[in-house]
Amino acid sequence: MKIGIPKGLLYYKYHVFLETYFKEIGAEIVVSPDTNKEILDLGVKYCVDEACLPIKIFHGHVAKIKDEVDIILIPRVMQLKEKEYICPKFCGLPEMVFNSIPNMPKAITNPIYANNNTKLYKWAIDAGKYITDDINLIFNSFNRALIKQSAHKTGIRNENFEINIALSGHPYNIYENFTNMNIVEKLNKSGVGVITEEYLSDDLKNINVKKLYKKPFWTFLRENYGFTTYEALEKKVDGIIYLSSFACGIDSVVTELIKDEIGDFPFLILKIDEQTGEAGLDTRIEAFVDMLERRQENESDIPSHG
Amino acid sequence: MNYLGIDVGSVSTDLIIIDDNMKVIEKLYLKTKGKPINAVQQGLKILKNKYDGIEIKAAGTTGSGRNIASTLIGADAVKNEITAHAIAALQFDKNVRTIIEIGGQDSKIITMKNGVVSDFAMNTVCAAGTGSFLDRQAERLCIPIEEFGDYALKATNSIRIAGRCAVFAESDMIHKQQLGYNESEIIKGLCDALVRNYLTNVGKGKEIVQKVFFQGGVAANKGMKAAFENALGFEIVVPEHYNMMGAIGAALIAKSAVKKSGSTKFKGFDLANSLFESKSFECEGCSNKCEVVRIIENEAAIGCFGDRCGKYSNALQVSENLLV
Repeated sequence: MKIGIPKGLLYYKYHVFLETYFKEIGAEIVVSPDTNKEILDLGVKYCVDEACLPIKIFHGHVAKIKDEVDIILIPRVMQLKEKEYICPKFCGLPEMVFNSIPNMPKAITNPIYANNNTKLYKWAIDAGKYITDDINLIFNSFNRALIKQSAHKTGIRNENFEINIALSGHPYNIYENFTNMNIVEKLNKSGVGVITEEYLSDDLKNINVKKLYKKPFWTFLRENYGFTTYEALEKKVDGIIYLSSFACGIDSVVTELIKDEIGDFPFLILKIDEQTGEAGLDTRIEAFVDMLERRQENESDIPSHG
Repeated sequence: MNYLGIDVGSVSTDLIIIDDNMKVIEKLYLKTKGKPINAVQQGLKILKNKYDGIEIKAAGTTGSGRNIASTLIGADAVKNEITAHAIAALQFDKNVRTIIEIGGQDSKIITMKNGVVSDFAMNTVCAAGTGSFLDRQAERLCIPIEEFGDYALKATNSIRIAGRCAVFAESDMIHKQQLGYNESEIIKGLCDALVRNYLTNVGKGKEIVQKVFFQGGVAANKGMKAAFENALGFEIVVPEHYNMMGAIGAALIAKSAVKKSGSTKFKGFDLANSLFESKSFECEGCSNKCEVVRIIENEAAIGCFGDRCGKYSNALQVSENLLV
């Protein structure tokens, strides 16, 4: 049986688990290609206008491969961490897709609670049943997929750069090179190294999170807030760039929280939407890098005493 | 010694020639009209007729069309508008701490500390609160944009117009017109709305420290200056060459670039006679299907933009100009 896996949203973080699992239980996997103009156009065409770009792009990936497969995976991700949630659009993603895209194949839409392995295993059984009845195979495949996923390291940490920045935002904005216009490559080319939140431990992330007046219940807010504020306050980097989807509710909260905490530490927010003209993005990045360089030169001019 | 700076913006293309003492020898303010190549060439033609034989020691470009302009003229420096504006402002007055810059489709705030940019912000994807918004409303009111400021100053009373979104602002303005408010009150209301929008959007969370320079095309509007002063509670300065600051900055940056490199790459005013053409096509090389623009001078390709993989632009070896 051919199962389609759209290359959108949290695919970038969990593709090893998903691909291994479905391969091991005997499905043939069809992954949609990297996002391109055709997929963007399909997404914008089918998706409701109010949604953010990553959701639209996910629609585009579904539309691109739906006719080639017997069944398609539309992950209804509910939870990734205990007592935390993610954006509500993920909970309703299958409904959004089914109401917008005509002639859909069968789909796996069971809710995914990835906050503990028992709950995730329940998803594996429900999802696996579309492919096989062999519960032993499901059990073994699930475990192998978990092991492979935990051995797979995501994240970016460039070394040997004079200037370094923390790149923050939802993972699908950071790893989606089509919409972020190859930002990591652009930064590297202008002499700037990048680090992402995967390289900071949860303990260190939680230092500043604990100081908030209440525990945030959005996983990505906690991670991005904890990561950026730690990197800024401990001066681990020279600046922060936050990639934010236009009209994202969570980002509108987290960027304000970050600004409040880090004071005048260099902080640049880049809005991502449908635009493919790179001039606006280039100008902002170039000016930000210029500023970091000049700040650095200036600081080294000032003697540390008096 | 003379230095050339070109700022290719969305609305205007500005050319400037300065000398070693920062004296402005010539300034040209031309409308871009969506055709940056034509605008630059037209500017060069005017300069050629007036200053043929003058030696240009360095040339720099800035603005959203800086890469295309650099390809045309052979620039020594290609810099973003933020750095260019800051460098120009500091050259005129070392005590400037904040720059408010409102152009055609961008608005920016730049704060400076110890003579370098310490923070900046630009408007996000929306063009509400920029010059093009005022332009459009001026058109709707059938008032030349140049007279906008005088109208605003005549008003004794300001009416409130929603300024956060250009679409809301427009319908709000029409409603107020239908209620019978006069033009100057409406224009003052628009200026106030733009300032309110600027301060709560671009300027949000930024400390506006004196001395403040107000630059960019919109600074010509006296109503805007007054509205800013009213909202901030102190005086702001519109520098003499407010609409040329980007171009001046580009010339200054080019000057120091040539100091390092030794000689200029500027191709000379004779460019005015060259035949430039831009041809765009969709590359079929991969699924990205980039829209590639090729700049052709006298039938030879001199520059290429838009290809993500660099297939065409690297071949022309202009890639170092694209991301400096």
